[in-house]
Amino acid sequence: MNSSATQQPQRQESDRQAKKKWYSSILARPEVGPIGVMILLLCLLGYFSIPEGQFSLNPFSGEGFNALGIRNNFRIIAQLGILALGAGLLIIAGEFDLSIGSMVGFAGCVMAITLKWGFAFVIPYISFAGGPHIETIKIFAITDVSPLTAIFITLCFTLPFGWFQGWLVVKTGIASFIVTLGGLFFLRGLTMVSFRAFNRAPDQTAGSTTVTDLPDIKNIIKVPGHGEMEREAAKALPNDQLLDILSTVPAQTVAKIAEKLTYVNEKVALYKTISNKSKMIQSLERSLEGAKKSNNESMIEILTKKIEEGATLPDVTAKAVTDLDIARTYIDTIVTARPVANFFGGDIMEPIFDWLYYTADWNVNLYGNQFAQGMYSCLMIWFLLALVCYFVLSRTQAGNWIYSTGGNLSAAQANGVPTNKVKISLFMFTAFCATMFAASQVFEVNTSDAAKGNLKELEAIAAAVIGGVVLTGGFGTVLGIILGAVIFGIAKEAFFYIPGIDGSFYRVFLGAVLVSAALTNENIRKRVIGSV
Amino acid sequence: MTIDSSKKPLIEIKDLVKKFGNFTALSGVSLDVYPGEVHALLGDNGAGKSTLIKVLSGVHPPTSGKIYVDGQEVKFSTPRQASDLGIGTVYQDLALNALTSVTRNFFLGREIKKGPGPFGIMQMKEMNKITIEEMAKIGIDITDPEQPVGTMSGGQRQTLAISRAIYFGAKILILDEPTSALGQKQQMEVLKTIKDVQKLGHIAIILITHNEIHARLISDRYTFLSLGEVIGRGMAEELGGDDIKRLMAGGAEIGDLRDELGV
Repeated sequence: MNSSATQQPQRQESDRQAKKKWYSSILARPEVGPIGVMILLLCLLGYFSIPEGQFSLNPFSGEGFNALGIRNNFRIIAQLGILALGAGLLIIAGEFDLSIGSMVGFAGCVMAITLKWGFAFVIPYISFAGGPHIETIKIFAITDVSPLTAIFITLCFTLPFGWFQGWLVVKTGIASFIVTLGGLFFLRGLTMVSFRAFNRAPDQTAGSTTVTDLPDIKNIIKVPGHGEMEREAAKALPNDQLLDILSTVPAQTVAKIAEKLTYVNEKVALYKTISNKSKMIQSLERSLEGAKKSNNESMIEILTKKIEEGATLPDVTAKAVTDLDIARTYIDTIVTARPVANFFGGDIMEPIFDWLYYTADWNVNLYGNQFAQGMYSCLMIWFLLALVCYFVLSRTQAGNWIYSTGGNLSAAQANGVPTNKVKISLFMFTAFCATMFAASQVFEVNTSDAAKGNLKELEAIAAAVIGGVVLTGGFGTVLGIILGAVIFGIAKEAFFYIPGIDGSFYRVFLGAVLVSAALTNENIRKRVIGSV
Repeated sequence: MTIDSSKKPLIEIKDLVKKFGNFTALSGVSLDVYPGEVHALLGDNGAGKSTLIKVLSGVHPPTSGKIYVDGQEVKFSTPRQASDLGIGTVYQDLALNALTSVTRNFFLGREIKKGPGPFGIMQMKEMNKITIEEMAKIGIDITDPEQPVGTMSGGQRQTLAISRAIYFGAKILILDEPTSALGQKQQMEVLKTIKDVQKLGHIAIILITHNEIHARLISDRYTFLSLGEVIGRGMAEELGGDDIKRLMAGGAEIGDLRDELGV
């Protein structure tokens, strides 16, 4: 063997690769595209929602970013985001779940039915006494189901279903597309059947696939002297009872509420004054135009003068703060007696939105009142889930298993990764995400509908793909999935504001973004794999 | 390289028979592999090399025959048990996930972690350090253990798979056609890696190859298989080039071949 060849300093294979530019490692990250699209959409939304006639370089001055807009947008984004996390992680592990949307409807159905009629475990049997018919033996029954119990019972239905779908996929080798497509039809049908069956019996509202008359559980509060009742009912109590309630409140609290109400009333009066004046000027201007048309010289003179003087209307005086107002506002501040329902369906970040109104003078609507009370709590649920997912996927052993299960199944198995367990767990996780979504909806709007979650499975998959997840598995990040959901949510809003075009163009836009995202993802994936 | 005659074989295979129904894949194969030695297993397609490896790595249980590791008779029936006994197999496809980092592949399925079960936090720093060290031991410097395996050359991937097997306790390393899918230069890289493993001194290497030149570059001992039987064996010094060619072709004389081809 000629040793001279091997002893020379050899050029490494890596020497042949072009030296990396400082930006190439950034460009190889799967989040780059989504961030670009998101910035584009934010600018679209910002600039097009600036009222006509005004000019601003700051996109955040537009109407699309007022407090209520942010509150509502983030609700759509967060709800989709919760599902996209489940769908995205499962795709990274190389499988699909098309049953997510139906699972949302089904979970909402189970939750609403248990909240309304309770839960019973029964064993059915065929009885022949007086003609064959089905009888049941009741094993146990819970009539008054708390929110937490309702969620737990729902999970007892959804998680095993997720497990079963995963088990079918890994044991039989049938494509998850087909197994979960079956789940999609099965669960949607089961949801409708269950709703009809339960609605028919006691209420005679046969055919209804909704439950609409749930109490506003998250707003059940303990009112001093009255026990537990709904907030709105408490505020509608007779005046003397309201004053009785107020008498139990410490003076300090009363003073604070009074101070706030004074601020609100003054603000309302101020906005009323401004709006009255501008209305008056507007009507004067209209008259002036009329006068100009009819060449009424004296009238033009008088009107011009009046407009120059400005509106001479007196300022609207602020309404006085009454004890009844204070009592009702106090009832608003009482903390819920159903924290679980409030956790899923209530509001969060209220102190910040209060601060924005009382101190920062921003969260104000056209009438001088507070615009938004807070963010929907599904935002928090999304955030918590995303945090857990991020941690698990990027930092833990389970995360490495998820990536390798999707990236190279046989390699993962050869190295002792329990790939079947990984997949089944993730099928259960998507079912869990769907249940969380359903819980936040049921407790927020106090209704449930068999059509809930329709098409959400496809939106969730689209959001994950837009966020940089590759459909063949093994590639994607939680940050990307989050961005994908944000893009999906903002697109609709942004296109609504663009003047002169149909708002439904957002679907056209998302379709194009989805396909180009998929192309980009594949490109990045190839760049990561490199060529040998 | 001289082999100390007092050395004991790390793995001894005696009269191994493997039948698949009526088909006899291996009929009485015996093989000794010594620590610090490369034992080339040569033979034509269908000679029984793959079956022998699969028996040794626990994929197929043998029909009869005995396997001794360190002088102790062993029996195993799963790949896990085989690797627990120190038999590490590096397959042709290497069992790597090209999309994740070198470190994540190195520790795949055996991550160093703190915390409960699979939700334990991976100790990336420690794992990165070990990966760099272990790969340096057999001659590959990787600067960035966080780079995706996809960016590595085929030779580097082989090194990764080999160093991984060694780090997780392989005393007997089975390399299945490690050079077959590579270009010239990368083949040399892999041979160098094997040589480095050999120099470690405590690892017995079984090298399966088609390539006579590669075998001659690094092997200490040869065993030739044909139709499930050992048709020849010997030390590197004892065998001439023509012997190796002849035995690899299943015992046919080169002369016969020439006649047959009419050259």
